Amino acid sequence: MAEMVLTDIDKVYENGFHAVKDLSLTVADGEFLVLVGPSGCGKTTALRMIAGLEDITDGTLAIGGKVVNDLPSRDRNIAMVFQSYALYPHMTVGENIGFGLAIRKEPKAVIAEKVAKAAELLDLTSMLDRKPAQLSGGQRQRVAMGRAIVRDAELFLMDEPLSNLDAKLRVQMRAEIASLQEKLGTTTVYVTHDQVEAMTMGHRVAVMRLGELQQIAPPQELYDAPDNVFVAGFIGTPPMTLFHADLVIEGDAARLHVGDQELALPMGVIDARPSLRALSGREVIVGMRAEDIYPTEAEGRQALNVVVTMTEALGSSVHLGFSFAGSPVDEARLGSGLKNDDEHGLSALAAEGGVQGVAAFPPRIQTRIGERLTMWVDMGRLHFFDVESGRALR
Amino acid sequence: MSTVTEPGTPPIPQQPRRTFAKWFRQLGWRHLVTILALIFALYPILWVIGAAFTKNPSITSGSIIPSTPTLDNFTTLFTNADQPYGRWYINTMLVAAITAFFTVLIAAGAAFAFSRFRFKGRKVGLMFLLLVQMFPQFLSLVAIYIIMVNIGDVFPPIGFDTLGGLTLVYLGGAMGMNAWLIKGFFDTIPIEIDESAKVDGATHGQVFWGIILPLAAPVLAVVGLLSFIGTINEFIIASSLIQTPGTKTLAVGLQGFIANKYSENWGPFTAGALLAAVPVVILFMFLQKFIVGGLTQGSVKG
Repeated sequence: MAEMVLTDIDKVYENGFHAVKDLSLTVADGEFLVLVGPSGCGKTTALRMIAGLEDITDGTLAIGGKVVNDLPSRDRNIAMVFQSYALYPHMTVGENIGFGLAIRKEPKAVIAEKVAKAAELLDLTSMLDRKPAQLSGGQRQRVAMGRAIVRDAELFLMDEPLSNLDAKLRVQMRAEIASLQEKLGTTTVYVTHDQVEAMTMGHRVAVMRLGELQQIAPPQELYDAPDNVFVAGFIGTPPMTLFHADLVIEGDAARLHVGDQELALPMGVIDARPSLRALSGREVIVGMRAEDIYPTEAEGRQALNVVVTMTEALGSSVHLGFSFAGSPVDEARLGSGLKNDDEHGLSALAAEGGVQGVAAFPPRIQTRIGERLTMWVDMGRLHFFDVESGRALR
Repeated sequence: MSTVTEPGTPPIPQQPRRTFAKWFRQLGWRHLVTILALIFALYPILWVIGAAFTKNPSITSGSIIPSTPTLDNFTTLFTNADQPYGRWYINTMLVAAITAFFTVLIAAGAAFAFSRFRFKGRKVGLMFLLLVQMFPQFLSLVAIYIIMVNIGDVFPPIGFDTLGGLTLVYLGGAMGMNAWLIKGFFDTIPIEIDESAKVDGATHGQVFWGIILPLAAPVLAVVGLLSFIGTINEFIIASSLIQTPGTKTLAVGLQGFIANKYSENWGPFTAGALLAAVPVVILFMFLQKFIVGGLTQGSVKG
């Protein structure tokens, strides 16, 4: 177990592609860090550099206080779980798990004991003599885990280990991996593109985009206080509704102009974010979480008139897609690319113009697509971002 | 849906008995092609078997079923001191086995490098291997002859007229096609398996011996078998480099039986050829169990 420090890590491929840019982060001893980001953000490249499977172009990588840039994988004392599991198909489950130990010439008795222990931990004891081809996806995944934990490695690296499992198994393994890591206390770096995994598993989450680290913070902090528009849009399901608004502060009154609507902004909101004060009369990007929009009026909420564009009854809640006149955030100009998966069909709706958003309402809300609706926005929980840089205004 | 008959798919009517002409048009001609191909392939083998058991057969008089079967041809093989068939047999098996073994090893090593490493000259190297392979090995016969004679002056055990030298010459041509063949197979083994083993602590060597070679067993078996057969059959180089009767290989030695214009010994020749086929058949049956698909199944994906 060890602390891992990345300092100004760069990866430039031979074809000139700059996959990882100046990545600096510290993973504390025993910490579970999740690297998350859309496809092509450099998270897997970063992990492979840590594993020693990819050369580090520039910067230093230290594990346990020792710079390991030029050490081959086998000397880094790390264990890795691959997205594809990469089991040795000609070996039994037991041999697969014990391979790393056998390579290190550990005595047979020790290997057998450690393999048995790992198998018990992962509920694989009855399958030790089977070949990988005879196992189900979930079992193979556990064998891959077993191969990692049996080694007493200083560092676990996991590259989207759950992405080949079905939805139910994924939820189950998510919990199992998290609790296993808790039990073993091994420093872990976990790569995923699934932000639910990121939110639920990690002690801290590092969000990457286009090779750059956007923000690194505990999951809740990431959700509550995103550093920039990209993180705001990427973290959270359904995604945060982002739009341009004109901020006007006159004496003790502040308001937001969105399209032809006006939302009064309590001064408390301005006071909590001092940098907003200087931006009176200017445009800002405003973000609102789906759960901060309500169907009913209450103290601190402002009315927003919208047109319902989509309803999704999830049982425990209803996701309402809506649109209203205004200026949506130009993702390309900000280069933020929000979320890759268009699960709410927002891009199709965006063609119609106006701002597209999603609200999470209590279940059994009766509404139809095309209906005009007044929603109530909790102004105190809005997020503000700079129009130019996309950085959070606090 | 199950109760509704879908339009466009009427129930299949009871088929009337097919006429022979129709049967032949649809299916029969395939049988005919198969039978012709079988005759074409089996006739020479049957002829050789027949001749081997016939007393003094000739090309014209030999028949597939000998009228008076005899083992004389086989006894001749092992009793003529001028033509030591047993010696040739051992020579050939030794050369073929060693050549096949090291061919697999050399080609697999080259294939591993070409498949798994990225280095300067990789593409050029691959193309070069292919290009060299396009020239038959005996084009270089003169050069090989001179090299072997000169080596013989310095280090006789692997020089001219030795089995060691002959084996080395065969191994010189081992990489080419075989390296390509094995590389193609290696490329289908997911690279994650290598990477996983490396992270587990394996060196390149351990990955090669412990992971890749076992998984590539089918192609290694094929290459080994082809190399074994090819070496047994090879005549041109062997006949140029080997002169002492006791050092000859089967191909060269057997040719001696039929080389003289008026004393063609087809009997011992066919008998000897028949015996030479035995180890090949045995090796094939042994290797057959390795030539199976799906060895990498279960490694990646669910």
